[in-house]
Amino acid sequence: MTAADCALDMRGISKTFPGVKALSNVNFSVKFGTVHAVVGENGAGKSTLMKVLNGSYAPTSGTIHVGGSEVRMRRPADAQALGIRMVHQEINLVPDLTVAENVYLGRMPARWSLLRKSEMIARAAAVLDELGAAINPRERLGNLSISQQQLVEIAKAYAAKPRIIVLDEPTSSLSEHETAALFRILRKMRDDGIAIVYISHRLKEVLEIADEVTVLRDGSMIETRPIHGITAAGMIRLMVGREVSNVFPKSPAEIGNSVLRVDGLSDGLRFRDISFDVKAGEILGLTGLVGAGRTEVARAIFGLSPLIEGSISVNGRKVSINSPSDAVKAGIAYVPEDRKGDGIVPGMSIRENISLPILRRLTRFGRIRRSADRSLAAGYVKQFSISPPDGERRINLLSGGNQQKAVIAKWLAANPRVLILDEPTRGVDVGAKAEIHHIIGQLVAGGMAVVMISSELPEILGVCDRVVVMRDGHASQPLVRRELSEERIMALATGEEIA
Amino acid sequence: MTDTAMEISGVTRNDRFTRGSKLADMLSKAGLGFAILAVVLYGSFVSPAFFTAGNLLNVLTSMSIVGIVVVGMTFVLVAGGLADLSVPATIACGAILSLGLQPMIGPVPAFVLAVGLAGLIGLLNGVLVGYIGINPIIATLGVGTISLGIVQAAVGGVIVYGSNPASAEFAKGRLFGIPVVVLIFLAIALVGHFLLSRSFWGRWTLATGGNYSAAEASAVPVKAVKAGAFVITALASGISGGLLGLTLQSARPLIGAGYEFSAITAVVVGGVSIIGGFGSVPRAIAGLIFVQLLTNVMVLNGVRTPIQGFVLGALIVGAVGVDAALRKRGGA
Repeated sequence: MTAADCALDMRGISKTFPGVKALSNVNFSVKFGTVHAVVGENGAGKSTLMKVLNGSYAPTSGTIHVGGSEVRMRRPADAQALGIRMVHQEINLVPDLTVAENVYLGRMPARWSLLRKSEMIARAAAVLDELGAAINPRERLGNLSISQQQLVEIAKAYAAKPRIIVLDEPTSSLSEHETAALFRILRKMRDDGIAIVYISHRLKEVLEIADEVTVLRDGSMIETRPIHGITAAGMIRLMVGREVSNVFPKSPAEIGNSVLRVDGLSDGLRFRDISFDVKAGEILGLTGLVGAGRTEVARAIFGLSPLIEGSISVNGRKVSINSPSDAVKAGIAYVPEDRKGDGIVPGMSIRENISLPILRRLTRFGRIRRSADRSLAAGYVKQFSISPPDGERRINLLSGGNQQKAVIAKWLAANPRVLILDEPTRGVDVGAKAEIHHIIGQLVAGGMAVVMISSELPEILGVCDRVVVMRDGHASQPLVRRELSEERIMALATGEEIA
Repeated sequence: MTDTAMEISGVTRNDRFTRGSKLADMLSKAGLGFAILAVVLYGSFVSPAFFTAGNLLNVLTSMSIVGIVVVGMTFVLVAGGLADLSVPATIACGAILSLGLQPMIGPVPAFVLAVGLAGLIGLLNGVLVGYIGINPIIATLGVGTISLGIVQAAVGGVIVYGSNPASAEFAKGRLFGIPVVVLIFLAIALVGHFLLSRSFWGRWTLATGGNYSAAEASAVPVKAVKAGAFVITALASGISGGLLGLTLQSARPLIGAGYEFSAITAVVVGGVSIIGGFGSVPRAIAGLIFVQLLTNVMVLNGVRTPIQGFVLGALIVGAVGVDAALRKRGGA
């Protein structure tokens, strides 16, 4: 590789935090006009490496060359000036500004320091159009769905005409359809000569889009390989340092009576006439493109948003749900999609998070019984092998997978009959994913009814007994296992087939 | 998430809790202890009047009146309710009514009714902030102004005097050599501490301030919790105002002016997060002790009032700045 076609060359990068060596002697280089994937379990050092790359962290040691010359970046603005753009997994936009204003935030076209609004809107429209995103540049950003916001984030980076673009789990909130659209864009950017760093847990996507892949484990670079020399199983082996035999261990459970039944649910806006039921010991998949209304249905069943029509029954008895606490009383629990936003209280310990929904049951004369509180958490920490095994640890210091296990534990403590899981394995590493699937398997074996919302078709196909596909706020008839295929689900989700 | 505070906490995903270092935590606690010690040492060194039983008892008594408000204000900050600016009104309500109603219904019912009405003001604050989602600064400022107006109109806008010497004796009296006001403050502080750190309501308050959406999705009655924090503060201010009235045996409408600032300063200097989710009553009280002692030392040294204001203002800005810096650094 000559210096000229090397967009980025990081040599011997180490980063030490007090007590932790987050990166140790990492070498990482990316050529112009290629997509370079970075994979690794949570905590492997991907985020730290990217924060070094975008100027958020100064490396403890090591050198960085961009476009052949050595650089020192002290802050994100330095990285941007070098043409490095980052698309974060979490949305980093201003909800009260329009889409166009967000795309050109900080670089709005102006003449005589007056904003040229029409030009900005036209340019944003052109960029969005190029990306194939059907988003109105005049729309207030906060009105968009998370997946649309994600596309705006990508459009913002793209509009800056970067030399190097870093995408951190860009597809985690995109449906397969939108992912395909994103890949078209990435290929186009690659052909324009942009160096693309692509971080993802979704190995199938990595195989599809990347030219090269670098595997990180425990803060060290394990290997960089051309993509055609490696398989998903091979990557997993390198990532975890062990074989993960069965990604989706579905334990067959005895299927019993219908536990949760919803009839004709409408919220008057995002979904209409939704009916389905879930039986004891069954996992019902709820899938569809992002924005089809899956999460909205789940939130409404759980009392987080109002319904205008329809009925909900648990064990054959109609229940009226106006708040999450009604839902908990009715035996419904919900593990939300946005773990950081809705799942955990960051300043609290694992113990305090787990006991939160059932705190009243642990109190005597208003006082929380410490021993009950402790033993509840300790039990789940052990049962789910939450790591580190310390209930007093602040929950935000755990990895994504362990946080998710704690959130599931929180709801099991409430002893629900129905558990609704919204994207339970999003953004968790391969090992934790298998553990979470294992936990779900145990729950249904114990007679719980589970509704699992997921955008990941292999997960839906591997885990669910029946699947309801949503499209534009409507639900399909449930598909049973033998009817399930990726093609069938995609056809229903995109409206190419009427169920 | 309708008010600004929640939006702030929603956007700043990385919070001070991420620092996660027990050492930093201990340092921040011990830091205040050292600061208090330093003030005491400095005070005893420069002013012979400082380290005398009389002076310290004075500080303790005046601290107690603010301290009762501080206990309540801690709940507002921890719950993510920013601050309660209606405190001057609720204090005035407590003071004016507990004196003004004495001739009609007797001292004890007057006190209870005064505190109850103050609580009602808090309920109004709570409904506006917790249920309707109005920004707490605006809501409490508005409600405070309205309430003060009503109370003023009810008593005719003049000074109200006490008419029951026995109640005055009680409020100014001592039990085992300790002023009654101080004992009441300590009792309220203990109850507040228990409520915040040991009861389910306190856990709910911390959760609501820490992550409103997650608390809501965990079946915590977040609206009631937020509203409750304002009721607690108003009840505390009502009691504080009542005691102030009984001690002074007179109450004018502006009797509570400045107490909101003193209380917020104490809570923030104590390291309770202005964005919510973190803090305790002992911390807030440590902040109070520090601020009160510092003020006392300045007064004894004849530091001019504008300079005192400068120092207190710098303290509050500094404390909030440290809070923000801790959050930033915690980004790792």
